[in-house]
Amino acid sequence: MTAVAQEVVSPPGLPRGRLRRFVGWLGRLLAAFIPVFLLASLFTFLLGTVSGRSPAVIQLGENATPEAVAAMNAEWGLDRPWIVQYFDWLGSVLTGDFGISWATNVPVGELLAGRAAISLSIAGVALLIGVLLGSLLGALAAQYHGSWFDRGVTVFTSVISVMPPFIVGIALIAIVAVRFEWLPAAGYIPFEQGFWPWLSHIILPAIALSLDTVADMARLLRAGLLNTSKENYVTGAVVRGLSPRRVFFVHTLRNGVGPAIAVLGLKFPNLLGGAVVTESIFQLAGYGLFSAQSAVKGDVPAVQAVLVVAVILVVVFNMAVNSVLAVLNPASKRGV
Amino acid sequence: MLRNILRLRTGRWAVGLLAFLLLLGLFGGTLAPYEPNQTVGDSLLGPSAEHWLGTDYLGRDVLSRILAGSALSLSGALFVALLAFLFGAIPGVLSVYLGRTFEWVSLRVTDTLIALPFLVFAVAMTALLGNGVVQALFAVGILLAPVFYRVARTATLGVEGSQYVEAAVLAGASTRWVVSKHVLVKVLPPLAIAFATTVGTGLAVIASLTFLSIGVSPPTATWGGVLATDLQFIAVRPSAPFVPVALILISVLACNLLADAVRDVTGESGRQLLARKAASSSRRRARTATANIPGGTHV
Repeated sequence: MTAVAQEVVSPPGLPRGRLRRFVGWLGRLLAAFIPVFLLASLFTFLLGTVSGRSPAVIQLGENATPEAVAAMNAEWGLDRPWIVQYFDWLGSVLTGDFGISWATNVPVGELLAGRAAISLSIAGVALLIGVLLGSLLGALAAQYHGSWFDRGVTVFTSVISVMPPFIVGIALIAIVAVRFEWLPAAGYIPFEQGFWPWLSHIILPAIALSLDTVADMARLLRAGLLNTSKENYVTGAVVRGLSPRRVFFVHTLRNGVGPAIAVLGLKFPNLLGGAVVTESIFQLAGYGLFSAQSAVKGDVPAVQAVLVVAVILVVVFNMAVNSVLAVLNPASKRGV
Repeated sequence: MLRNILRLRTGRWAVGLLAFLLLLGLFGGTLAPYEPNQTVGDSLLGPSAEHWLGTDYLGRDVLSRILAGSALSLSGALFVALLAFLFGAIPGVLSVYLGRTFEWVSLRVTDTLIALPFLVFAVAMTALLGNGVVQALFAVGILLAPVFYRVARTATLGVEGSQYVEAAVLAGASTRWVVSKHVLVKVLPPLAIAFATTVGTGLAVIASLTFLSIGVSPPTATWGGVLATDLQFIAVRPSAPFVPVALILISVLACNLLADAVRDVTGESGRQLLARKAASSSRRRARTATANIPGGTHV
């Protein structure tokens, strides 16, 4: 998505021609993301069509007569051309209707609702940890460039970058949950039953999922800040006697934070997608595991619903990231 | 090229580790002391002289399962990287030459593949299409292809904009000539780096899939599968995940070290690095001169 990130342009906000500029900016933003969304939804849909799975096999068994199978396919509308089926499906997805599960005959939206809360809790907390811890480590490493802390951060980021997230999860279970019994190793308690029980079940999977983002954030923020701090305008700001805090936040941070924010857009799909393994390790009934189990059963509408929801989240998140980048760096509106 | 890699310390480590992994993949199955899928003792035994790594919940020898599983775990990663290379590098180079329509479509497909939530999609794709090894390899291969597409396209665009290619075209060189004589030379080194990294990524992804018993059904031994059963009984055998985890980490690390070594050998900074090494080992006098070379190791 970096190609997209570079194309998208000017922020809203300058007084003259404000509305016109805003509409133009919004138009270019949508022009960059609508093809991605349409293609991703098409891939998602075709996955079901290409697989050749049908509700007849699930509900009638392998030995059903061809007539019964044909009748059931017609009942579910699977005898129509795939392109008709695609637009029909896309239309109902966009209005919030994810279809009926082939395995259970229950609306998929109902099946998803409870599980999405688990997965989104983990992904959200992981994103929060990634942003906060990552920017803290990166900023401190840049500030104390060359110190033992800086070297420690570099070692940490390179170790984490070779470590698959599920290994971090296993290590956390083995050490924090089994060896010291500080936190529960598995399960989930809804947020409504209290903040601490919820957090205590969420925090280990969220940490396991977030470390990758922490490492990338820290690495890129450190590099961005170090590069920016060598710029003449930063030296100029120091010479003019501005306070170190003002130099950091107004001059260095604003110009150096771009790559670190851009990488968040790339990391977000992994936070949503990595959830499958994390959910399996921590035995959480989230949507990742749900989609895996549904896929093994051949319950196509359920799988498609999970995938398309994830795609929508990724696209919306990346649009937000691009907007932030455009606000931070008005130079991009000149196409620089 | 290989000799240059061996002159770097990271390169020697990478080659050594990869040789070890190659032996493990080739002879792991025959080295296994027991049948990997047979009950050969009581369940959940700790490490002992008969069972070096103990037994799992079905009483199968864990060492044998890890050894027998190496071939699939390692070759799977290699195949995934090869498929990603084919699906990514070729369209990446061609996107510069086949006209604007192909360029636009291939760029949008790449953007889309990057936007897909990787593991969820790989799992869904594999399971829906029949939950076999081939499906898993293809699913992961396609989803990893954007890496190679990006690298190949960027490198090709770089060569295409250079003056010697312009000169060659003016002198009457055909596109085929330009691609085979000028582009490939410049595109292959970054692709080699991407390949080494992608084998590492593929290893982690294949381990994740087999951990979920996606693509490989349970009795077949894989590193990820062994980990999954270890994790279920972690309260009984808390140190059990150590060996499969270490093997996965070593393999990913070896691939990344190799990528670093290739980067150092092929890149501009790498040539300087080698030159500096040669200079400092042959003549101490050279030290003062080479200290001024820009682009040192610290970033």
